[in-house]
Amino acid sequence: MDIKIQLIVAVIIVIAMGIVVMMIKNKQLELRYALSWFALGVGILILDCFPDLITELANMMGIGTPINMLFFFGFCFSLMVIFVLTVVVSKLTVKVKRLTQEIAMFEEEMKKKLQAKEDCK
Amino acid sequence: MKKLIIIPAYNEQESIKKTVEDIMEKAPHFDYIVINDCSTDKTKEICETEEFNVIHLPVNLGIGGAVQTGYLYAARNGYDIAVQVDGDGQHDPQFLSKMADYMEAEHADMVIGSRFIDKEGFQSSGARRVGIKYFTMLIKLLTGTKITDPTSGLRMVNREIIEFFAEEYPKDYPEPESVVAILRRKKKVLEIPVIMRERSGGVSSISMKKSVYYMIKVSLAILIERIRK
Repeated sequence: MDIKIQLIVAVIIVIAMGIVVMMIKNKQLELRYALSWFALGVGILILDCFPDLITELANMMGIGTPINMLFFFGFCFSLMVIFVLTVVVSKLTVKVKRLTQEIAMFEEEMKKKLQAKEDCK
Repeated sequence: MKKLIIIPAYNEQESIKKTVEDIMEKAPHFDYIVINDCSTDKTKEICETEEFNVIHLPVNLGIGGAVQTGYLYAARNGYDIAVQVDGDGQHDPQFLSKMADYMEAEHADMVIGSRFIDKEGFQSSGARRVGIKYFTMLIKLLTGTKITDPTSGLRMVNREIIEFFAEEYPKDYPEPESVVAILRRKKKVLEIPVIMRERSGGVSSISMKKSVYYMIKVSLAILIERIRK
């Protein structure tokens, strides 16, 4: 691999990880969801610095073309992230539903109390 | 005995007033609560000017979430019996006291108003009847109990089921799934013949396009409910 492309990839990854850190700092991103992105960044950085690792890993797993291994792992990683997101959304739906119900009931109770107060006057 | 009628309403401006007035006239021993599921029409305004007992959901939750709000309300306010009556005028409130008497006499946990025992009144369209027959078969197969009208929205439950539904109620198309959940807990579910009318306003929540999704979703939900611990 050309040292130029290695440098470009390394710079992009470092910038991307910097952005993730900034977003966590500004509370735009939850740390627990950012961990997988950190792991991905570190993984790519390692492979970028030691490209021979890719060929070795592919040989070890019996994958003929090393680049296919990268595509496959990238695909698996994306699927995993998407799946985790659907789990998170499911949990959120339940919470939002209960919150909505509680707010609605609270509002109705308040209205009743206000009315009772006015009737007393 | 405190008895509550839960009326879920989503965009029912044409029929909500008549439905509630009908209930006040024909089922005077019941309290009622309208659950306005964030309607986009005049349902809210009508309920306010008529001074109905109403809970307005701040965001739209769908039929399951709306009905569950009713059960939550029933649980918190100490009701012994709760019955669901749709806001579109399909259900005739004159059957409610009969249902309550039947439930007490038979010590049932749930009583469903079924269109298909005496086969009187509005029988739903042909395609829908086939779908309902299929659910009857599926439920019979999985639980051993025959429920002739598992999609009926007219259902009455006792205190124990109120508390259960307040915690756990399916999100959309909840009727068949929740019946299976009850049957699986070895509760007594009975049916009573009722006459339903054609809806007096609004549109059914299950359109042709959605019916395929409905069949698949509810079948899966019933199967999964069956294997739950």
